[in-house]
Amino acid sequence: MNAIFAIAHKDLRLMFRDRGDVFFTFVFPVILAIFFGFVFGGNGKSSTIELALTVESDSRLAAGIAADLARDASFDVTRFDTRAQAVDAVRRGKASAAVILPASMQDGLDGIFAGKSIPIDAIVDPARRAEAGLIQGKLNELAFRQFPDMLTDGPQMTKFFAGARASLIQAEQLTPTQRLAISGLLAAGDTFTKSLGKSTATTTQPASTWSPIAVTVAELPARTGLPRSSFDVTFPQGTVWGLAGCIGAFASSIVLERSRGTLNRLRLAPIGRVHLLAGKGLACFTTALLVQALLVGLAVVGFGSSIAQPVMLLVACCAAAFAFSGLAMMLAGFCRTEAEANGAGRGAILILAMIGGGTIPLFFMPPLLKTLSFGSPFRWAIAAMEGPFWRDTPIAEQTTPLLVLLAIGVGGFVVGCRAIGRPFAG
Amino acid sequence: MLAIRDIHKRFGHTVAVDGLTLEVRAGEVFGLLGPNGAGKSTTIAITTGLLAPDSGTVDLFGLGSPTNPAVRMHLGLAPQEITLYDQLTARENLVFLARLSRVAAPRHRADELLELVELDARANDRVATFSGGMKRRLNLAAALVHDPKLVLLDEPTAGVDPQSRNRILDLVRQLAAAGKTIVYTTHYMEEAAKMCDRVGIVDHGRMLDAGTVSELIARHGGKSSVTIEREGTEHRVRTDDPVAEVARHFASGGVTAVRVERPDLETVFLALTGRSLRE
Repeated sequence: MNAIFAIAHKDLRLMFRDRGDVFFTFVFPVILAIFFGFVFGGNGKSSTIELALTVESDSRLAAGIAADLARDASFDVTRFDTRAQAVDAVRRGKASAAVILPASMQDGLDGIFAGKSIPIDAIVDPARRAEAGLIQGKLNELAFRQFPDMLTDGPQMTKFFAGARASLIQAEQLTPTQRLAISGLLAAGDTFTKSLGKSTATTTQPASTWSPIAVTVAELPARTGLPRSSFDVTFPQGTVWGLAGCIGAFASSIVLERSRGTLNRLRLAPIGRVHLLAGKGLACFTTALLVQALLVGLAVVGFGSSIAQPVMLLVACCAAAFAFSGLAMMLAGFCRTEAEANGAGRGAILILAMIGGGTIPLFFMPPLLKTLSFGSPFRWAIAAMEGPFWRDTPIAEQTTPLLVLLAIGVGGFVVGCRAIGRPFAG
Repeated sequence: MLAIRDIHKRFGHTVAVDGLTLEVRAGEVFGLLGPNGAGKSTTIAITTGLLAPDSGTVDLFGLGSPTNPAVRMHLGLAPQEITLYDQLTARENLVFLARLSRVAAPRHRADELLELVELDARANDRVATFSGGMKRRLNLAAALVHDPKLVLLDEPTAGVDPQSRNRILDLVRQLAAAGKTIVYTTHYMEEAAKMCDRVGIVDHGRMLDAGTVSELIARHGGKSSVTIEREGTEHRVRTDDPVAEVARHFASGGVTAVRVERPDLETVFLALTGRSLRE
């Protein structure tokens, strides 16, 4: 085992000292993931907050809030017909929050003196948690802003006081004293409303302690059957580019060892061929895991992605790392010179990565390319990662890409080991 | 110690080794002398197990073939090309190789060897920054990390400056004095004559003859050549006893210059192969 670790340690050290390898394995995939994330829509981090608004209530209060939200420079409001559509927009990263003005708003308004509140629902993207407070404050402000208009609108207020009286009769929790006091208040309100006539003067200010608005802010549920932002899609793609960089780096390093004679030095050591190849494979596997950890971590911490199935994602990362380590061995076996490894080898990787959805997501591809993609290991790596990352695919459905990756890994190691060890007499 | 018997190796249509037989005794420095392409490096590769012969056998220390890792433990190779990792430091290279060879204290062993090859001051510098001579010395140190009994040096002084060459030759002497058995390939006759207890002349993949330098000269060198210059004329004589010949000419008087050419390994090589070593 020591020999295996020694070879892996040496290979990792050499890899991290090669700026080109580090760039193509770690930096380039991150750049790609972020770049394509923005190209495909990003998560809309702009100066305004995107709101998905659904107005279920036909009340004047709801209409006023909706109109004010649309006018507010802090928000970029898109109207949706249903609550589900609005929530889906948040899930897809099209909006930071969904604001629902529910049908029950009128009931809340009518029962305001019976202890009810006017409900407003907000569902925020957990990645935009920082903006949740702002959204809640704004909704409160806009709701309160409707009251001066309502209080100076005679017919509306008459209707309001009638509704309030009706709900007062049904409010069993009130004591007789409270019921009497509120009835007196409603009578005074009626008198006040009648005195307004058609006047538009606004003299009434809501009491500062009165809080009839109940803005409920909830986070988008953790279920991730759809990508919440384009970064959910592009980071697994970036991971695949990291794996491609890994293959290129390690295949080249093995070819380099052969052409410079250091492979002979390793063969002369009192170790078997299995140790030699296991050491090289371990280095490649470790780097592949590192690059995947880097990209997944960055997606979660920096771009608000959440992992639907962490354990399965770990399994997928290990399977992908194994598959691509095997591919590195195979490529190293086929390439006899550095020029072959750096030119033809990396070129083949590039083509396979593109066909496999490394640049353009598979769902954007025409049917022919989608069919061809089945021949690319990158497709299976992306499928294996997306399942537990954001698709929340049932585990049974994840076994196919995992098994394909394992088969690729085993095949790659077998072919590569034969080719690499060809002139080895031991 | 090392017994190579009738090995053959062919690469396509090219015969690299053609029935070569060789025996190296414990503690001796054995030189394989031959021109480029004679089959020396292929013989070394077969001796280490890096190449399998098409036929013939190699036995090390009576333990069997070097394809067995346990047998390979006892041999160290400094190949003709520099087989080091440029982006690792001198120490990192040696520590890595020591770990592969399961040396008990890899860092300590690396430091010992760096001192031996006089590179301790550059221990933490990357090999990429080394001169050709320094790389050669480190290449030699790399062959010694596991303290092998048999050290194979394939053209250890090829392409180095005279100062580095002298240092390498000193190192070889130290190894020999420490009791190592050394097989040394070279196409420098002076080096072979100076360093080796016995020399084998190789050409076209065959061992033409082997023995001490004196033995080889005695067998194949022929007579010494004595050239006498007298009043503008030159007279050349081949003789077994050049001293007596010169004395005889001086006694007869009128000699203006004398030149004596004794046979050397070049002469031996010419006699054995019909061509010069440097062709």
